[in-house]
Amino acid sequence: MENKKKVLVVDDDDNLRMVLMDKLGASGFEVADAPNGEEGLKKALEWHPEVILLDVMMPKMNGWQMLNKVRTDAWGKTARVIMLTGLDDVTNVAHAVGKGVREYILKTNINLDELVKTVSAS
Amino acid sequence: MAEKNSTLRPVSIAIAVITVWLIVFLLSFPILEKIYSDPTQFLGNRMSIENFQFLFLSITFIVVGTLIAYIVYLLLTSKSRAALIAGESMKWLALSRDQFRRLYEGAPIPYLTLDAKGEIHNPNNAALRFFGVVPEEIEGKVLFSFRAEGEDERASRLMQFYNSGVALNREEIRMVTKSGEEKWVLLSVFDIKHPMDEKSVGLASLFDISDQKRLDQAKTQFLSLASHQLRAPIAAIKWLADMLLSGDIGELTEKQRDYMTRLGNVNRDMIDLVDTLLNVSRIEIGSLTVDIGPTNVQEVCRSIVLELGPQIEKKRLRIDERYNGLFENIQSDPKLLRIIIHNLISNAVKYTPDEGTVTITLVDSGGQKQITVSDTGYGIPAAEKDRIFTKLYRASNVRSLSSSQGTGLGLYLVQSLIETLGGSIDFVSEENKGSSFTLTLK
Repeated sequence: MENKKKVLVVDDDDNLRMVLMDKLGASGFEVADAPNGEEGLKKALEWHPEVILLDVMMPKMNGWQMLNKVRTDAWGKTARVIMLTGLDDVTNVAHAVGKGVREYILKTNINLDELVKTVSAS
Repeated sequence: MAEKNSTLRPVSIAIAVITVWLIVFLLSFPILEKIYSDPTQFLGNRMSIENFQFLFLSITFIVVGTLIAYIVYLLLTSKSRAALIAGESMKWLALSRDQFRRLYEGAPIPYLTLDAKGEIHNPNNAALRFFGVVPEEIEGKVLFSFRAEGEDERASRLMQFYNSGVALNREEIRMVTKSGEEKWVLLSVFDIKHPMDEKSVGLASLFDISDQKRLDQAKTQFLSLASHQLRAPIAAIKWLADMLLSGDIGELTEKQRDYMTRLGNVNRDMIDLVDTLLNVSRIEIGSLTVDIGPTNVQEVCRSIVLELGPQIEKKRLRIDERYNGLFENIQSDPKLLRIIIHNLISNAVKYTPDEGTVTITLVDSGGQKQITVSDTGYGIPAAEKDRIFTKLYRASNVRSLSSSQGTGLGLYLVQSLIETLGGSIDFVSEENKGSSFTLTLK
């Protein structure tokens, strides 16, 4: 059996999570999700996904806090994280760059096919 | 200096008067001799020339004597006069010192003086209120020992400046009061060094900007929250519509597909509106930052035309792209420039009737980089031309177009942004013929 790429979706919006899971699942990825940073972190460290799609503003633990924790882990140091967020202010984008995130996507600026393409690229 | 002058003046006047008197005395005879063959004729027979000379000399002695007496009087009294003047001056000095002290003590801005080691002296009342202390609790303490947590590096840098004699001008730093409250201040320190006062090497003022900072933070937080909360549902609509249209969860009928496409388009307008609203808010609260870097203007224009493809096709518009191989690598803010050009092209598309033409031209006119977007659209009524960059303005001839949803924010945003980038915008327009907007980049 082909080794499917594992993608973890961390977002507090149920609708967004559902549609992302469906689309990525239909596109042949192995997917898991979490509604906040706390659960996202737990799943990421257990499951070691190839890609984490990460929102910023979430209850309990936000995206930046989760990213900080992921980066302190041996596996997480180099994990591929794509920020997928509604925030496009310079401060947040600069923050991402500072944390070694090279992919920062504004949710409303990408359609699902483009997103699948982005996730597929390594 | 003024006192010296006042003693000298009577002396010089006296000398001048005596000199003039003597000259007149000496000259009077030859002159009189010239007018009259016998000068005594002038005086009549009653007075001989000897009598006249005697009278003249007597008057001279009286005048000279009076002046000498006056000079002696001035010399004798000058000491006591000096003392009097000094006494008056001291009173004025005391008064102005008192006034200065009251001004210093009562000023609403916290002031204190620093010695060479940066230790605090002479805190005024506002400074005591600022730190929440009595004078003994602050006197002799190093100013930067009141720095807030995380400000070590900044405090030591400012101290270095101070030690090397560099004036501090409105430097932002967080300080902490006795009760542990953190405050943002603009710290200024300037040199007031005087050999007689070792305790006052620098005069420091601490301008409390905590309220302003809190307000700024609240505004920024509000904008972040608004971005997040507004974009999450419209992103969900976008992706749900994408999902249905893609056929991944079952094929749609023709009618359903048409409806879904319309839903996607309406949502696209909503996304643009939210983007514009957020950008306008950022400009208005001053949180917009410019990030200058390599920018490919051609690429920006091409991607916008591509993005607006569906609207362009629907209206069967002709897009004429005249890039002339220019501006493939200029220094600008690609993100802001994209918002600006996007607004202009999308306006041209929106306000041009079916089968019209939109022309995008890049021109380098003597080092000035110009981007022009022209259309064959409805144009702007002549009477409204000076209002088009006003917020919420919408031209009267397009307000009724049901197919064009404008917010009246687009051109306001464009002008604010291009000015932020140091450029300018100009336009020509004729109603029912078209409009042409030209951006000039710095």
